[in-house]
Amino acid sequence: MRSVALLGILAASTAAADDRQPDATLGHIFRGPFGSSRLFSMPTADVIGAYIISISGDGSLLQDPGRLTSAAVIAIGFGDLAQLEYRETAAISVTGVDAPVPAAGVQLKLPLPEGAYVPALGVALRVGVARREQFAATSVDESVHDFYAVSRERLGALVLHGGLRISSAHIVLGGDRMFSLQRTLYLPTAGAEIVMNREARLVGEATAAPEFHWRGAMVPGAPEDPTIGYGLLARLGVRWRLFPSVTLDATLGYQLAESPAQGDGPRDVVSAWDIRLGAEVFVPWGALACRAAGAFCD
Amino acid sequence: MKRVLIVTSASVTLVAIAAPRAQPGPEEPGAPAATAGSGSDLDSGSAAGSGSGSAAPANPYVDVPVEPPKPVKPPRMRDPRINMPEVLTTPTGWLLPAAVLYSRTALDTGGGLSSDNRVGLGDVAEFGIATTDRVRARAVPGAQTDQIEPYVTATFRMGVAESRLFPQQPGLVLGFVKSFERNHDGFMTRIAELTVVQSKHIGARTAIHLGAAFWDASLKGATTDTSLHDRATHTIGDQIRAFGGLEVHPLPRSEILIDLGWSPEFCYGCAGRDQIQLRPQLSWGVRYEVADWMHLESGVRIPDIGAANLLDAQIFGQVTFTSWALRHAVDDLK
Repeated sequence: MRSVALLGILAASTAAADDRQPDATLGHIFRGPFGSSRLFSMPTADVIGAYIISISGDGSLLQDPGRLTSAAVIAIGFGDLAQLEYRETAAISVTGVDAPVPAAGVQLKLPLPEGAYVPALGVALRVGVARREQFAATSVDESVHDFYAVSRERLGALVLHGGLRISSAHIVLGGDRMFSLQRTLYLPTAGAEIVMNREARLVGEATAAPEFHWRGAMVPGAPEDPTIGYGLLARLGVRWRLFPSVTLDATLGYQLAESPAQGDGPRDVVSAWDIRLGAEVFVPWGALACRAAGAFCD
Repeated sequence: MKRVLIVTSASVTLVAIAAPRAQPGPEEPGAPAATAGSGSDLDSGSAAGSGSGSAAPANPYVDVPVEPPKPVKPPRMRDPRINMPEVLTTPTGWLLPAAVLYSRTALDTGGGLSSDNRVGLGDVAEFGIATTDRVRARAVPGAQTDQIEPYVTATFRMGVAESRLFPQQPGLVLGFVKSFERNHDGFMTRIAELTVVQSKHIGARTAIHLGAAFWDASLKGATTDTSLHDRATHTIGDQIRAFGGLEVHPLPRSEILIDLGWSPEFCYGCAGRDQIQLRPQLSWGVRYEVADWMHLESGVRIPDIGAANLLDAQIFGQVTFTSWALRHAVDDLK
């Protein structure tokens, strides 16, 4: 049943991808071009395209010493205007770490004609999956549902991105303590790319992200109830297309937490700044299936 | 009649001369093999049938498979000279080219061993992992400082190459160095450094580097929990420092280097500002280019020039390897 549903999803991909020919060589298939649908953590008004899967991940050992903080996105092109995705969306957990919260969703590129000074527009909807942390006998479930509206404008070598993230953030305490809180947040996001050469772009992004506070996570037995606020996550780095189907990401990241207890602002370099490394790999599954089994050919 | 004979004999002579040249020579492409069995079946049959044991004459009407000549790879251009990402201890405003590997190992008379390994990313950034011996600690005020090593750090630098935007533009790099947490004598320490540095060639033989650093460090122990950004103890001026360096090429393969940088010093038994301090560090030395891929460096480093304690000076030697092999492999795969 699951495979039938998957085939239905795949067959529903309406737009044709290039080079889905039975005699295409692997070199030809992986030559691309491939387009990303994100900056670092911020989605853009683009989609990866039909018959393509994008797998992304990044991580840092520096942010929380001794623990890898990581994020990942798996997206599958659904026609030329949409993609389905599973991602760990950005949020700051009760422990103060930029701990991604799992979410599944769809991202759409609005089919508007592009022209000079006419930005591309996209929307994304993500349904969050609760992420559970355990503190002694108390469990904490955090989840975030998002609606994104983003735009993109190309100005020569400079590409500007802007958008608004409307987040519904939930925190639920369980176990020896019962509590539930939901808050809707309107969070601006912005980003910019500078095309430095054929293969590398300098990218900067600043996004506001939901931030969960609960003193009990740091001080066992603290009587305060959890709250939900927002923090700023900013990243500046390079996206380097090592091969057409492989892009490496390296960034300098900054996290400004709303709570004074979780960092001391920009001057707190040892806690609020980190280095993250990641990669995005594009798999043209349609062209590979055509070459291997004659399926999904153009 | 005599004229006819002359013409006829001349024609025969010409044909006799021309006939052997009509067949390709044995060394020429497409020449039939000289030994029986290595030619076509038809040729082999003829040879067997003759009973003479000699090679059969080539049949010019039989297609002999000819391997197409392999495409000749154009010779690779000589790799350009690499501007080093560090003078001796301070960063420069130059970045490694894309996919170029850099490895430096240093040893000093203080027993310090350090290593720095980096890779260039897309001609606009570089990432590295290093162990440094520059972080020092003392147990109580006035005690001898010890190097904390290995002190593992990660480095990320990004920027714009020299003369990339306009002709006289200096190389400009934003760098970030952050350490993993280090446990030493029961105290947990971390350091981090944000830098902005610019580098400029002045003429063909000189380059100057100037930069500013924003430092941070934290120290946690049994009864201690402090940091350089703690405003109850330190001012913002305690975090900001200027650094710089100078390179001179008096000879084509040799450079004279001098730089002034800073390094953190922890004092476990001190109080207030003395718990974490930045010490000025002066280094000078030479770099010799043994080969395109190998440089030797040697010089003197004074860990705390502010104290003018020359007895604390260290003589160091280091070897730096650079490699374009990964770049070439990536280019070939493309």
